[in-house]
Amino acid sequence: MRISWKWLNEFCKIPLSPEEAAERLTVTGCEVENIERPCSALKGLVVGKIERLQIHPERPDLFVAEVDLGGPRAQCVTAARNLREGDTVPYGAPGSVIADGTVLGKRTFDSVVSVGMMLSAEEIGLPGIADEFGILRLPAHLTAGEDLLKALNLDDCILEISITPNRGDLLSLMGLARECYGVIEGSTLEKHELKLPRIGDPGSISWEGVTLEDPGCPLYGLSFAPSVQIGPSPMETRIRLAFSGIRSINNIVDATNYIMLVTGQPLHAFDLDRLPAREITVRGAREGERFRTLDGQDHTLAEGDLLITSGGIPVALAGVMGGENSEITAETKSVAFESAFFEPLRVSRTARRLGMGTEASYRFSRGVDPSRVLPTLSCLYEYLLKEAAQHHLEENVRVVSTRSWEKRRISLTRRKMHRVLLWDDLEQASKILQKLDLREISATDEKRVFEIPTSRADLSIEEDLIEEVGRLRGYESVPSRIPPLLHGTGRVGEEVEAHRKIRVAAMSRGFLEIVTYSFINPKWVEWLRIPETDPRSRGFRLTNPISQEQSLMRTTLLPGLLQALQTNLRSGWKDPIRLFEVGRVFLPGEEGEDHRESLRMAGVSWNGKERRVLHETSLKDDVLSIKADVMALCGSRGQIPGFSTGHEPFGHAGQTAQVSLEGKPCGYLTSIKPGILRELEIPGPVFAFELEIESLLPEKGFRFGQVVRYPAVYRDISLIAPVNRPAASVEEDLRRLGGTLLRELVLFDVYQGPGIPEGTRSLAFSLAYGDPARTLRDEEVDAVHEQLRLNLSAKGYVLR
Amino acid sequence: MDTIHAKIENIREKMMQELGSAGNSESLQALRVRYLGKKGELTQMLRSLGNLPPEKRPAAGQALNQLRQEIEAALDARALLIAREEDEAREATDFVDVTLPPRGRGWGGFHPVVQTMNEIIDIFVGMGFSVAYGPEIEDDFHNFEALNIPPHHPARDMQDTFYLDNGRLLRTHTSPVEVRAMLRWGAPLRIIVPGKVYRRDSDQTHSPMFHQLEGLLIDEDVSLADLKGCLNTFVGAIFGRPLDSRFRASYFPFTEPSLEMDVECFACSGRNPSCRICKGTGWLEILGCGMTHPNVLRYGGIDPDRYNGFAWGMGPDRVAMLKYGLTDLRVLFEGHGSFLTGGGY
Ligand SMILES: [Zn+2]
Repeated sequence: MRISWKWLNEFCKIPLSPEEAAERLTVTGCEVENIERPCSALKGLVVGKIERLQIHPERPDLFVAEVDLGGPRAQCVTAARNLREGDTVPYGAPGSVIADGTVLGKRTFDSVVSVGMMLSAEEIGLPGIADEFGILRLPAHLTAGEDLLKALNLDDCILEISITPNRGDLLSLMGLARECYGVIEGSTLEKHELKLPRIGDPGSISWEGVTLEDPGCPLYGLSFAPSVQIGPSPMETRIRLAFSGIRSINNIVDATNYIMLVTGQPLHAFDLDRLPAREITVRGAREGERFRTLDGQDHTLAEGDLLITSGGIPVALAGVMGGENSEITAETKSVAFESAFFEPLRVSRTARRLGMGTEASYRFSRGVDPSRVLPTLSCLYEYLLKEAAQHHLEENVRVVSTRSWEKRRISLTRRKMHRVLLWDDLEQASKILQKLDLREISATDEKRVFEIPTSRADLSIEEDLIEEVGRLRGYESVPSRIPPLLHGTGRVGEEVEAHRKIRVAAMSRGFLEIVTYSFINPKWVEWLRIPETDPRSRGFRLTNPISQEQSLMRTTLLPGLLQALQTNLRSGWKDPIRLFEVGRVFLPGEEGEDHRESLRMAGVSWNGKERRVLHETSLKDDVLSIKADVMALCGSRGQIPGFSTGHEPFGHAGQTAQVSLEGKPCGYLTSIKPGILRELEIPGPVFAFELEIESLLPEKGFRFGQVVRYPAVYRDISLIAPVNRPAASVEEDLRRLGGTLLRELVLFDVYQGPGIPEGTRSLAFSLAYGDPARTLRDEEVDAVHEQLRLNLSAKGYVLR
Repeated sequence: MDTIHAKIENIREKMMQELGSAGNSESLQALRVRYLGKKGELTQMLRSLGNLPPEKRPAAGQALNQLRQEIEAALDARALLIAREEDEAREATDFVDVTLPPRGRGWGGFHPVVQTMNEIIDIFVGMGFSVAYGPEIEDDFHNFEALNIPPHHPARDMQDTFYLDNGRLLRTHTSPVEVRAMLRWGAPLRIIVPGKVYRRDSDQTHSPMFHQLEGLLIDEDVSLADLKGCLNTFVGAIFGRPLDSRFRASYFPFTEPSLEMDVECFACSGRNPSCRICKGTGWLEILGCGMTHPNVLRYGGIDPDRYNGFAWGMGPDRVAMLKYGLTDLRVLFEGHGSFLTGGGY
């Protein structure tokens, strides 16, 4: 909200500079985001009166004016066509500065010298106050030669205040003045009495009545102006509206806005003659009902929206905006003014749904003060009486009300206040609260009871009062202490611990940690060729994404990693790169579950682009080097993963492993399908893995081995097995058939090619035999080894 | 007898002379063979001792043995010297330029937010808080209603929400875990909740996904003083030195009173009116906090007359940006290698 400092001071005299006041307001909860001085660029401008106005002797499109500056005179040439002799205008002499920073001087227009300039609204930086094209014409009562800024109160500043949603009461000068009085020491509240209007039938017009059909509007007042003269608002109003960020429309609409700024109660003006009937009914909208608001927009209404109707026809969307059918125009002759209370949540819902945040809906959503609904009509009446235009106003106001408002009572106890603030001076607390217009109605040593003004809908429980006391006293007065540890120590927990160990292990192995968005482009499902049968194709979609590219909740971490890889490649990255991310994926739930969130760890590795560097080959990854990484990551949790031939829709058919822990599948390790990489424009290969962290949560207690005191005896064995027989299964056979003395075996050669039958390969192992209690003799080992060879032959292996 | 002793002297002299000119291990080995080998001069002399008269044998034998020991010692000493010289010569030619690039893989790199989040967790765990988690896909009840934000309440405008096609929403803050934790563990309670949150907002300082760390302490007789103490301690720990702080009144539906905590700008301490970090205000907004609203305690099944508590929510992204001097929030989630490695890898 934008608040004029000078205007505010008419309601509460503040003995501080705007900056000091802003600091205090900010600390107490009204954050002043900026202090703007809209006319600070202007220099040396004065008020001038046009003495004589003639057509330029040589240029019929120009005028020559003689401007009285309160003694001295100046001759000015202008193209503006809106001036007459006797008009009062803003004038800048040579050397003065206008809003855009231009320094004025002398110019000659076809032999006529123009000294300085008469100015338009735009040239003094307030385009919004113009009521016609041309030079800005000022009120006639201003004196020639007067300083323009002083004369128009332009030497003001605007506080831009961010008001929290609970403080609807601050959306007015009166409300803000009360707050300033409460929070700023030494300020004085200027009395602005709110009085009820005269309630009764309007004598000067015929009016049938007001019917309230919907509890969403419990109070409705209408006042009338049987005859009005539509025109621009007085200069002062236009300037104040402009400073408050409100566009000037005409004197009637401006009046409603001006009064709203003062009391916080939004008003609406209907063209009385354009109302379909001389009655108003407030009712709920019907589902699908159509309505055109005065901004020309058509809306489809929903049940729950509140409508103001007349003769059965909607004329306003209650609390949000009036209808085009009854708005004030230049031809309007008579007016009805509405001041009402609408239920905050009803207005809020409509305004949010239709995206219509108006000054009115903003205030109604936050709750207006019911006790100001009718007095605001009195304020309007008085304002219009003072306005120069010739209006005929009706003093009686029609009011219908279906509810009354009790003032809430809240008690403040010493015990609770002390518990929160460590301070228990109820007497002082009461003084603080009374400055905010809370009335103390009973007092004991332990408890005070306060009556809350209806403007403060946000105050409803004792804690609210403690907050008022706390913030006005200042939170710096509360000491600072560390709560003692009474209930055991803090625990990081398994998930954080697992995450930490795994991430450090990954970083030690050259992986770069990244964080990517949880929502991805839905096209990734297609790009990664994930079939419909795969739960990973059934991610949740955002119904209101910022963009399509971020509209599907990820079901795997792979897209984010591949996209990061693409981003890097597009920006010219050439080095080998390994990336990893730990984050959640979101999968459809199983049996009664709403959904499943699974914490994952995934990584990708790319070997880099043709680039001349030293030792290049030693950094090249392949599926087996990534396997070592996966083993190390699991190892950081004391776990040993198992690998078996696997299948992933995006994985190279011959280079994909299923990773498991304790025999339970927990992820994959793969080389991404070359076709996919081609489509993603990533020059392959890319290796990737993804693991469920949940499987790694139980940290295995590490088991140490036996101390070896007697050296092993080594023998090699080389055998031929079908190509599709996993090495792991051959190893398993060797272990099973090797006898009790076989201590260790290492695969040291795999060969496939000439000399070996088609479809088979040769595997060579180095076997270590040993006994924990003694050194084995060669003959013993030979016997055992020979037995193993026989066993293997029996099993069908061809030994070499 | 003189002849044998003269011979010994002769050998000693010759040997020492030749030893002096033996320049490498090969010539030294030759020398060793010539004197001490099977056919070496000294060996032959020892063999010829039998030809001497018996009474002269002991003295001659003793002299010969002494010579043998002397020669061995001299050869060994010389061998050591030569080996060292040879090693030095070899090392001098076997030179590796240690300024060449390393072979193998170096340290990867951490993400500033994950790193900062972990630091923050450790600070609060040290103060007795335990880590709790909750779902990122939430329902309206936990994200709003149980936090005292009824439907259509204007406070909902403070947090523009993403909705999902299953009727759920993406949590807009980590606060829903407060109620879940209260229902699960009851009071007293001391938890922190790190995690991702989502709001429909995107510009230089807003990302549709960002991180939060929520804290909640519930006990008997909790004061704003406890809140200030915890958070001041945290600030000192994360920024490495105690910083001035101020607590401003604010509004959150789920706390009462509600405050915002600002800390002294660690870059300028308020002394630089054109400071880029604090924009000249001298203060950095760091987190929102307050005393847990009694309605929230009730939703969590906790009696607000017996227990009260405080809560806060902070943005580790912002803390990380302050710590590492970053200006654009969005690059945090794009995985740029050049950014994360500080330019090299
Ligand atoms: Zn600073």
